Amino acid sequence: MFITLSVLFVPGKAWAYLDPGTGSMILQGLIAGLMGALFTIKIYWARIKNFFSRSKSGKEDDLKRDG
Amino acid sequence: MDKNLPSSFRDPSGFLFQRDGVLYRQVNNCYQRNYDHLMSSGFFENCTKAGMLVPHVEIPIANFPGKKDAYKIIRPDELTFISYPYEWSFSQLKDAALLTLELQKKALSYGLSLKDANAYNVQFHRGRAIFIDTLSFEVREKNTPWIAYHQFCKHFFAPLALMSLTDVSLGKLSQIWIDGIPLDVASKLLPRWSWFRWSIALHIHGHAKMQLKHGNIAKTGRPAKNDLHMTTRSLLGLLESLKSAITKFTWEPKGSEWGDYYSNTNYSDEAKSSKKTIIEDFIDNDIQPTSVWDLGANEGVFSRIASERKIFTIAFDIDPVAVERNYRQMRQSKEENLLPLLCDLSSPSPSLGWMCRERMSLPKRGPTHTAMALALIHHIVIGNNVPMSSFADFLCSLCKFLIIEFVPKSDSQVQRLLATREDIFPDYHLAGFEKAFTGYFTTRKKVKVQGSDRVIFLFKNKITLDDKISTRIY
Repeated sequence: MFITLSVLFVPGKAWAYLDPGTGSMILQGLIAGLMGALFTIKIYWARIKNFFSRSKSGKEDDLKRDG
Repeated sequence: MDKNLPSSFRDPSGFLFQRDGVLYRQVNNCYQRNYDHLMSSGFFENCTKAGMLVPHVEIPIANFPGKKDAYKIIRPDELTFISYPYEWSFSQLKDAALLTLELQKKALSYGLSLKDANAYNVQFHRGRAIFIDTLSFEVREKNTPWIAYHQFCKHFFAPLALMSLTDVSLGKLSQIWIDGIPLDVASKLLPRWSWFRWSIALHIHGHAKMQLKHGNIAKTGRPAKNDLHMTTRSLLGLLESLKSAITKFTWEPKGSEWGDYYSNTNYSDEAKSSKKTIIEDFIDNDIQPTSVWDLGANEGVFSRIASERKIFTIAFDIDPVAVERNYRQMRQSKEENLLPLLCDLSSPSPSLGWMCRERMSLPKRGPTHTAMALALIHHIVIGNNVPMSSFADFLCSLCKFLIIEFVPKSDSQVQRLLATREDIFPDYHLAGFEKAFTGYFTTRKKVKVQGSDRVIFLFKNKITLDDKISTRIY
């Protein structure tokens, strides 16, 4: 019932049993830039806010690896 | 003889099985790299310490000779009761969704990602949501999209949007579609103005259209690899968008038929206090239950008599308002022994899924040591036209001991039920009740509630039931 479409898209993930949905994967590809931009704005906005309120931000961990 | 769980078969990474009543998970060889990374990266330790993921211990594989394809055998901490998303209130589903997102976000920082995001990965244990499917995490290949995004939207985003914007009872749709509500259906059921909320426009409406458009890969062709590029930062943005939208979904539990039950009845303080004392006496001095199912629990006033004595108690009610209020109170007070759940006793959760064994019916997840049926009988027998003896028969399959309140016709609640219909219940009286129930139970005690005409009985099941829930297959 669950077709491993992941085999077609992403080499080396033959054991991901879930059908991710073609449209869903393409949608992510389309909005990737927007999501990345929004997240970056959120981080910097939080830093600006913290700068003025002089409290610690704990968001740096999220950007440890970018890939 | 090992018994594989009928709900654990789709994922080639491994599966759950029981041996001598103990639950184990086999981790298959194909999952080795992922398992090793899960454990060595620190992610497992971090999440189990935070109470987000169910802990496990590794069992020497020599104890399981002949297990085909096994890399490891692990023994996860067992849960007392398995519940399903169609039995959860709005906030329970919301908490399960937010936990899943939080785990996915954390997983990314450890180089992992959830390969599935269905609501059955989450359970409620000691008063909070916990993730139980350890093998759902896999090593994330660089720049790949989230494989489980579509499933997350069907299992969590869509039902929460529907419950918040359309009707809270639509949470029950997950009982019809056990792999989540199809996004095109959710899109049609949401109000038109939801298109103006950009998160809903994206994650449901637009998502549904994309799924439909690319549903036939023979027509649309394979997408180019570059079109599927998704950095960690982009994924974090996606998760943040989902989290922000879900956090903003609200539903205020008010105005239902039973929402203000105790203030709208002529239940005096004396009667309420007397009832409480009677039940406390039964529990402390007669039966000392190991588990309690409070049927028709409303907001859990009497369920808490058991749960505050550290007895695991499930508070079932048909009313989403009551279950929601009960859950919010439980969460605020950090109660650990109570589990509020939705249940329509006239049609309790059936067996569902593959071979009708994947998700168990309610009676199959019992029996419980003690059941309570307080201020309930008139709803079943009069409100639902169920014969008294049939109700006794049903209760007899659920519990060893029964605490039940007989509510006579003189009570205002019964008069309310009979107000607009013919009274076709000539045997609905105390003697008729005792006659029906003593066919299935022996009477231990019988006490009148002070300040009312109601009588509370303590019954013992004539049939011996095995109430060791831990020996049951999930």
